[in-house]
Amino acid sequence: MSEKLQQIINKQQKSLSGDDIKIDEVIQLVGFIVGDEEFSVPILSIQEIIKPISWTRVPQTPAYILGVFNLRGSVIPLIDLRSRFGLEMIKHTEETRFIVMKNGDDVAGFVIDRLTEAIRLPKRDVGPAPDTIAEAESMIDGVGKQSDRIITILKVHKLLERNF
Amino acid sequence: MDEFEEILQDFLIESFELIEQLDQDLVELESRPDDLDLLNRIFRVAHTIKGASSFLNFDVLTHLTHHMENLLNMARHGDLTIDADVMDVILESIDLMKVLLVRIRDRGVDSGLEVTHCVERLDAVANGTPLSAVAEAPAPAPEPEVAASAVQEDEEADYSGMSEAEVEAEIERLIAVRQAEDAAKRAHKAPPATPMAEEEEPDYSGMSEEEVEAEIERLIAVRQAEDAAKRAQKSVEPEAPKAPPAPVAVTPVAAPKVEVVAPKVAPTPRKVEPKEDGESRGGAAVEQTIRVDVKRLDHLMNLIGELVLGKNRLIKINDDVEERYEGEAFLEELNQVVSIVSLVTTDLQIAVMKTRMLPIGKVFNKFPRMIRDLSRELNKKIELEITGEETELDKSIVEEIGDPLVHIIRNSCDHGIETPDVRLVSGKEEGGTIHLKAYHEGNHIVIQIIDDGKGLDADMLKSKSIEKGIITEKEADGMTEKEAFGLIFRPGFSTAAQVTSVSGRGVGMDVVKTNIEKLNGMIDIDSEVGKGTSMKLKIPLTLAIIQALLVGVQEEYYAIPLASVLETVRISKDEIYTVESRSVMRLRDEVLSLVHIGDIFEVERVFDNSEHAYVVVLGLAESKIGLIVDSLVGQEEIVIKSLGEYLKGIEGIAGATIRGDGGVTLIVDVAALMQMAKSVKSTVGQESAESKGRLGVKNKASDYTVMIVDDSKTDRTIMRKALEPMGITLVEAIDGVEALNVLKQGEYMFDAMLVDIEMPRMDGYTLAAEIKKYNKYKNLPLIAVTSRTGKADRMRGVESGMIEYITKPYSPEYLMNVVKRNIKFNEGL
Repeated sequence: MSEKLQQIINKQQKSLSGDDIKIDEVIQLVGFIVGDEEFSVPILSIQEIIKPISWTRVPQTPAYILGVFNLRGSVIPLIDLRSRFGLEMIKHTEETRFIVMKNGDDVAGFVIDRLTEAIRLPKRDVGPAPDTIAEAESMIDGVGKQSDRIITILKVHKLLERNF
Repeated sequence: MDEFEEILQDFLIESFELIEQLDQDLVELESRPDDLDLLNRIFRVAHTIKGASSFLNFDVLTHLTHHMENLLNMARHGDLTIDADVMDVILESIDLMKVLLVRIRDRGVDSGLEVTHCVERLDAVANGTPLSAVAEAPAPAPEPEVAASAVQEDEEADYSGMSEAEVEAEIERLIAVRQAEDAAKRAHKAPPATPMAEEEEPDYSGMSEEEVEAEIERLIAVRQAEDAAKRAQKSVEPEAPKAPPAPVAVTPVAAPKVEVVAPKVAPTPRKVEPKEDGESRGGAAVEQTIRVDVKRLDHLMNLIGELVLGKNRLIKINDDVEERYEGEAFLEELNQVVSIVSLVTTDLQIAVMKTRMLPIGKVFNKFPRMIRDLSRELNKKIELEITGEETELDKSIVEEIGDPLVHIIRNSCDHGIETPDVRLVSGKEEGGTIHLKAYHEGNHIVIQIIDDGKGLDADMLKSKSIEKGIITEKEADGMTEKEAFGLIFRPGFSTAAQVTSVSGRGVGMDVVKTNIEKLNGMIDIDSEVGKGTSMKLKIPLTLAIIQALLVGVQEEYYAIPLASVLETVRISKDEIYTVESRSVMRLRDEVLSLVHIGDIFEVERVFDNSEHAYVVVLGLAESKIGLIVDSLVGQEEIVIKSLGEYLKGIEGIAGATIRGDGGVTLIVDVAALMQMAKSVKSTVGQESAESKGRLGVKNKASDYTVMIVDDSKTDRTIMRKALEPMGITLVEAIDGVEALNVLKQGEYMFDAMLVDIEMPRMDGYTLAAEIKKYNKYKNLPLIAVTSRTGKADRMRGVESGMIEYITKPYSPEYLMNVVKRNIKFNEGL
């Protein structure tokens, strides 16, 4: 009896780990628009996505740092991605969202123009970032190709890195 | 190995705790060499450490402590008088012991340090000096030596290789040996009140030889019975070593090891820990304290912080609800709940804070020793008086306060207290006194260091500072006495004529200031030449939850730690003077330099300040500054939260807190703000200049600016065409909202506005009312241009602040004239 059980368990584990391998070959991203371009970050680096709430300006910081906001008791920096990418800041609309991203202990909220969708992308469809961008400085991790569009995948750790 | 680690950790914790007390005891001992209690206590430390270290195979440490124990034992039995020389040797050996312990803590081994020299000196003192004492009682002196070394040899035996039974046998044997020794020792020196003797109290001296023998027999029997009982109990219940009738000073954690430790440690405490014996016999054997990891307390403190935030929020909501549903029955109940929650939260917060509190004595304890060493080194006679060592404050602060105090006390010894001959000449007692005092004052602890030395000479401080290029002569002239005293905290300042090992490098006091500022503390110096100096450190009790003053500037709020706020004053703009391009004000008999919070934090100045301003007088360490704010919101209890890795280290911001409404408010770093204030260019006086600029000099026609607000493109064009011939600058806005934004941006200084009444989003009346809210635009001429001609409309226009009313249609000339009149157009341009 127990042997049988063991067999079943083994079988289940096998199929589970088999699944894992399959999942590994697909990356899951969340796509969003900033300016005219579509960007994305790995879904696992996103803590949550919230509607805009009020924030407090922090002095002596670059313009793209809007300030800090209260996320259920934690004080979290808020960064405007338009401004971070050198675009002009616009007024928040109905579709504006804060994406709270984390990388280890680093957490920050990012203002984006609007969300698009969750994307499952096979790994083979992800190409490297264009050569013209210096590797170390680049915020771009790679470029995902889908039938009719190109999605820029961002490096979350780079976004969360303080550069002032 | 893990078990060993655990024991080692306990050993280290215990040893460091013992040593902390030791220094103070030793210094006390020097003044009261006959105090047996004190001697016993010191002896016990050496003995305990020796016992444990030999078990842990720290041979060097064992070797050293063994000889210390030897010497102390002699002193304990009156065979050795403790004088300054003996003390020096003892202190030296204790220092060495500390070094060894630190080494063990850091590297796990005690090798590599030379102790032979110290041991030799210990032995020399032990054997050489008080020969007369040895002669009087020749027997006891060598005996402990033999006994102890015998024990030591025994300890060398490899217990791990033994079977259970063998260990038992070994223990039996060791106990027998020890008991025999004890008995013999007691027989020899029965009269001195050893703890054991105290226990029984029979008068041995009055006994005959036989009686003594009999008594010894009896005691051995009692002891054996006790031991047996203890062992029995231990094997049944190894977790409760504290319970047995004759207590064993084995820490609870070490309990599992007790079987092996027993022969070495167990017998000793009975001899050397009279105090504990006494306590346990009194029935208070149960341990009343519990060791808790600081991390857990920190976590608890964080949770309390969250709770306080929740409470603040609840109170705010309660207020709102009260306003909205005034008179409703359920309000009463809600009120009750809210007040209970807030009461309990406050109590809880205090209770948790208390668990983190340590008596400041922990820091003070090391000073008697320090003073002793310093006074010998400097050839001065210095007494240290300590009061209030039981005053408690937060652990994190206790850790931070040590260094500054060391520097201050060193400074007092070196610069403050004069040498004995100088003191005698100036009619003082030969010995100087340093008084170290701690007490509570509201939410602060005050630590005062008072010496009766030569005091600070303000003029001398100034000239020294000028000499060293710390201040200019001009600065020196403007300095009050207190400010001059503050010079000793400047980096690079030193009054010592030569650099000694104690001070004179001009580093110390600078550190004091930095550390105290870090704790949001204040320093106050009082001094009188020839009489002495008093330094007062005022430090908040805790760092995590603080009282703060909330201030407003424009539409932003900032929290200032109340600990740094001395007072707030409301002044009129006329009271602000400009001296060398810095704003200052006169506050009673002081001149206070001012800085606007908006200049520090780059706040956009949209509203003009009214005639009055609020000045928050900030004090930190020994400096003061006035911070101009737009409004005072009130006092609130805030929880300090970090801004996180991404935003940490922003100059002038100490952190953030979450307010009752859920918003984030930044906390001002007062120390940094004072630094920033030095470099920030003051704009306090410039506002008026700016507003003058608007009304004042116009050099050409385009210096005049007029805004046209109308939703119809045609109407705007008509107006533009009518006014363009004047050559003035025209700005257009399509409705009230945009007009207001243009005003706020402050890109233009408008001389007049032409406002349509009928507009989407915000009509002309509302716009006018909004504009008039800004002080800056109170006098801006608003001209209504509208097709509404009713009298009621005109009335409303006037009410909302319009000064002219032009009805459409109008001739271009008419419009131009109205505008010219209102902007006081200079036709000559």
